[in-house]
Amino acid sequence: MTSNFISFIHRDRIIEVENPDPNETLLNYIRTKLKKTGTKEGCAEGGCGACTVVLGELKNNNINYRAINSCITLLPTLEGKQLILVEDLISKDGDLHPVQEAMVKCHGSQCGFCTPGFVMALFSMFKKYSNFKEDVIKDSISGNLCRCTGYKPIIKAAKSLKNQKKIDHFSKNMENTIKLLQKINNRSIKIYTNDKRYFAPRYVQELKEILKKNINTNFLSGGTDLSLNITKERKDINSIIYMNSINELNYIKNNNKYIEIGASTPLIDLEYYIKKYYPDFTKILKRYGSPQIRNVGTVAGNIATASPIGDCLPLLLSLNAQVVLQDLKKTYLLFLDSFFISYRKTKIKKNQFIRSIRIPLYKKNTFKAYKVSKRFDDDISSICAAFNLEIVKNKIENVRIAYGGMAAIPKRAIFCEKVLLKSLINEETINKAKDALEKDFKPISDMRASGLYRMEVAKNLLEKCCVEIKKKKIIGLYT
Amino acid sequence: MKKENFINEIRPHESGIKHVSGKAFYIDDIPEPAGTLHGAIGWSKKAHAIIKKMNLDEVIRSAGVIAVVTSKDIKGRNDVGPVYDGDPIFPQKAEYYGQPLFAVAAKTTELARKAVLKAKISYKNLKPITTIKEALKKKSFVLKEKIIKKGEALKTINNSAHRLKGKFTTGSQEHFALEGQTAFVIPQEDNDFKVFSSTQHPGETQQIIAKMLNQKSNTITVETRRIGGGFGGKETQSFIFASICTLLAKKTKQPVKLKMDRDDDIIITGKRHDFYSEYEVGFNELGIIEGLKLKLASRCGSSPDLSGAINERALLHIDNAYYLENIIVENYLCKTNTASNTAFRGFGGNQGMMVIENIIDNIASSLKKDPAEIRRRNFYQKKKKNITHYNMKIEDNVIQEIFEQILKSSNYKTRQASIKKFNQESKYVKKGIAVTPVKFGISFTTWHLNQAGALVHIYCNDGSVHVNTGAIEMGQGTYTKIAQLAANDLGLPFGKVKVSATRTDKVPNTSASAASSTTDLNGAAALNAISKIKTNLAAYVKRKYKIKNTEAIYENGMVKFRGKTFKFNSLIKEAYLNRVSLSSSGFYATPKIHFDKKSFTGRPFLYFAYGAAVSEVMIDVLTGENKITRADILHDAGKAINPAIELGQIEGGFVQGAGWLTMEEVNWKSNGQLTTHSPSTYKIPAVSDMPEQFNVEIFKKGKNIENVINKSKTTGEPPLMNAMSVFFAIKNAIASIANYNLNPELNAPATPERILMSINKLKRKI
Repeated sequence: MTSNFISFIHRDRIIEVENPDPNETLLNYIRTKLKKTGTKEGCAEGGCGACTVVLGELKNNNINYRAINSCITLLPTLEGKQLILVEDLISKDGDLHPVQEAMVKCHGSQCGFCTPGFVMALFSMFKKYSNFKEDVIKDSISGNLCRCTGYKPIIKAAKSLKNQKKIDHFSKNMENTIKLLQKINNRSIKIYTNDKRYFAPRYVQELKEILKKNINTNFLSGGTDLSLNITKERKDINSIIYMNSINELNYIKNNNKYIEIGASTPLIDLEYYIKKYYPDFTKILKRYGSPQIRNVGTVAGNIATASPIGDCLPLLLSLNAQVVLQDLKKTYLLFLDSFFISYRKTKIKKNQFIRSIRIPLYKKNTFKAYKVSKRFDDDISSICAAFNLEIVKNKIENVRIAYGGMAAIPKRAIFCEKVLLKSLINEETINKAKDALEKDFKPISDMRASGLYRMEVAKNLLEKCCVEIKKKKIIGLYT
Repeated sequence: MKKENFINEIRPHESGIKHVSGKAFYIDDIPEPAGTLHGAIGWSKKAHAIIKKMNLDEVIRSAGVIAVVTSKDIKGRNDVGPVYDGDPIFPQKAEYYGQPLFAVAAKTTELARKAVLKAKISYKNLKPITTIKEALKKKSFVLKEKIIKKGEALKTINNSAHRLKGKFTTGSQEHFALEGQTAFVIPQEDNDFKVFSSTQHPGETQQIIAKMLNQKSNTITVETRRIGGGFGGKETQSFIFASICTLLAKKTKQPVKLKMDRDDDIIITGKRHDFYSEYEVGFNELGIIEGLKLKLASRCGSSPDLSGAINERALLHIDNAYYLENIIVENYLCKTNTASNTAFRGFGGNQGMMVIENIIDNIASSLKKDPAEIRRRNFYQKKKKNITHYNMKIEDNVIQEIFEQILKSSNYKTRQASIKKFNQESKYVKKGIAVTPVKFGISFTTWHLNQAGALVHIYCNDGSVHVNTGAIEMGQGTYTKIAQLAANDLGLPFGKVKVSATRTDKVPNTSASAASSTTDLNGAAALNAISKIKTNLAAYVKRKYKIKNTEAIYENGMVKFRGKTFKFNSLIKEAYLNRVSLSSSGFYATPKIHFDKKSFTGRPFLYFAYGAAVSEVMIDVLTGENKITRADILHDAGKAINPAIELGQIEGGFVQGAGWLTMEEVNWKSNGQLTTHSPSTYKIPAVSDMPEQFNVEIFKKGKNIENVINKSKTTGEPPLMNAMSVFFAIKNAIASIANYNLNPELNAPATPERILMSINKLKRKI
């Protein structure tokens, strides 16, 4: 069934919007159409968390709650979901939600403008976790900025929730919400407005048919990149295909040789899954944007935008990941190595889409990754480095190294690799390999860091990696 | 019955429940009347250029556009400068990248923002000046330089046993209030305008708009219930938005809302002044400063704005907590082609204090002494060495007590030793520790601003109380504290007092909510109004019941005169029926203060706020990454009106100050284009930047010796400066690389890059 309207659940009601503007942000809809002004605009780029709302989605007959940035979420992607706003946390009897109560009691608000966003981020934490340790709390609010409190009372409020029963009016009303969600679930969306088109297929087959007729179209996943064209560049995006509605592509598989990640799998799922195989991958993902970003953003999206500073890309390059591309007829397997052409340009052709990404599993290798940025949480890296080494008796038998932030594309350090290959890990090798990086990269200076700094840190991270491997422990402040 | 006491009591923020449930209205949340239009501003893409021609044809034709305004639409003063001209609303010559040139009103914000991009503007480029150094070289200044002197600095430096010379810079800082600049204007009858503005200064907003329109001030009403953070960024920087919004409302005769996009907001508005300094200091073998010569230059940006007062406060805090007998300072106010820098929590004070703290740190390093010891030796003393370089006698000095107490409670000495040991064994991660004091002067240095008004009504039917003042609630909790003061004074439950939106038609001629003085001034004005109503009530009781002693105790909802007790509500009702006024205005003017700007002497401050902090950091030697592992703060809030609110200010101020000195870096291209204008490029502290261990306490013995409400001390700006300890802890960690034998060169902000470069420089010297 295909529909030109979207439906979602809000306050126990099914709300239908006919032919919504595909470029309208969810935040704008909430504030100007639903007339709920509790949700705030702080930056319109998913960087401050003031606009955080929570979406409820059916998952295995349960509801999965996710915090998202409504400022970069496009309205039609709300299809089939439950929308929860800060105003909705208050019960019908007018009681504050435990999260709200805790924030008031612990003096978690000063000017109050960021507060609704914090409340929603904490609400999502409240629903998702059973204990609220400091690392869970900090992770949950790492995408929310507060300029007044210094965060201490907010953390205190979050900690105090551990004494709370996990029952709230959402859990009490769960059955009813599930029924409603089931009612509106399962439709494909096609919207044609005066000048814009929006498609949200549910199956790959449908996607192919849409692609056949709509060559110049933009793929949308988390919208963490595409939406900024609308909110920041003030451009119109006339044709959009939403990928995250394709459940078929939301998976992580593992055949012992590689992990395969479907194109619509949110980063947050990978963050949990990959920890067992590549703990450093998870550590970097934890600093990839914020939970609000990782709840919607995908690896496929990160690859397709080909940003030179995308945090996943150096990691995937060093692990020699492959991209599974698909067009109307067949699938192609491409090494990520040869995927990036130049600044933000890839080998994806019209008619093609990313179906999945395969990350090889190395049984013998050591994988290490580092991100250096001005701020620990939710920052874009000045330098990101990933090292994939097979070491036998202190000798490097295999090596793949890649850096982000060092060139116009995420790029391997070929010269450096050559020096390292078949060498013993010692000071001499490290120094030679460091020098080789100068052949590999000519980094630029920008507001994040100077070229000089980038080069020096690139070298130092190599040293750090080698020393850590030798000493079998972390020597730096962070990974 | 226990007396209900609302003062010195922990209470949640008066809007806490509204904050957490999304029910607190900010300007953008006020329900819009039908026909409300939305504005956007078109701005200069050149940092220094004559605007040759603006072709706005396509802007006007753009979808949804109703009106365009340019300088031609301004009948009155085309300037929003608060003290001096220099901040044109729409200029003929662009003085910075981002300067507004025109504005539109359209049916939606999106359409307005799209429209402004369609302007075709031709510029005649002029060479921009974008750095302090360049401005100094070209003698480009917004105001005349200032030289202040006390004693014989040059002579004593020459005669000193030890001398040091050096340079030092501190960085700019974007306010980044989570609520951006917003205005909403509704035209009224008679060409009057109702202006809702996210401002710290409704009074001046009113005056500036009136001047722009060539109308009387009584035709403009400005209202502000709360703002989503100010930090100085809405003291004068809000004016241009309120003005342009009014201009659009006037032209369209419709309500207009102007909500700034985050990037435009940051690009258009000024920030904290970055400072460059050169010093020469003479000191004895104990590290006691004997003479100090300073050159202090700040980036003021394109106009004077508040730069005069900000630089003055830097000069007034060049001593921080230290006695300086011989000093000479040259102060230059540099004009650059960047947005006009403005007020920011600390208002130049912290920039001045960093200069002296850096000098003290360097003295300690050169003498190979613990900086804490050198600081202590230079402190102002109680009976002697208590006259500042501007000739004010310090009467309330508690810095020694606070300093010693924090050193003790934080275990400074022991930790310092164990850090040294750690650093000997750790190659790649180094720790550092530092303690810094704060002494910050409270009062506006512009004398006449130290006044406030209030309006208090008591309603006859239920005895509920309505309080209005000139205070702006920006998160600092001033409404809560004023309500606590009023409730306490009237002996009523907190819930019976309502502090309502700040409005220019209720309380006129207000000063900005700034200089940390908001509650001191406005709280006192509110109490003054209440005392007048009490006088009315006492006179009535005396008349009616023939009571001689008219002193009354207001507590627990009762009013007790000697020999006669009333329920508060009954007395109010009775008074009304007997035609007694239950409403009054109130006024307060800060006593004792005076300052002669010419001779740079006097008593500019009523009192000083004190604090001290010990910070411990870790740095990564390979990357320069850093974190604050522990901070201990002891801060003087006098007798705190609401300790929870004061704690919030102390903690939040510290983290904001740490941001200023570490990760927050404002960056311009050489052509004057700002490159850090959104959260993706400009980083304010996030949750992981809070000190891992964060021990914050209010100085228990604290009591204001001056006659300030409740003997309290403000906690607005001063706690920010406790973060100076973070910077010097980082420097201390770097110094460990050369085994504390050499002094690292480090400027603020200490970004990972700066830290790594400082380490490299130091390594080269070993």
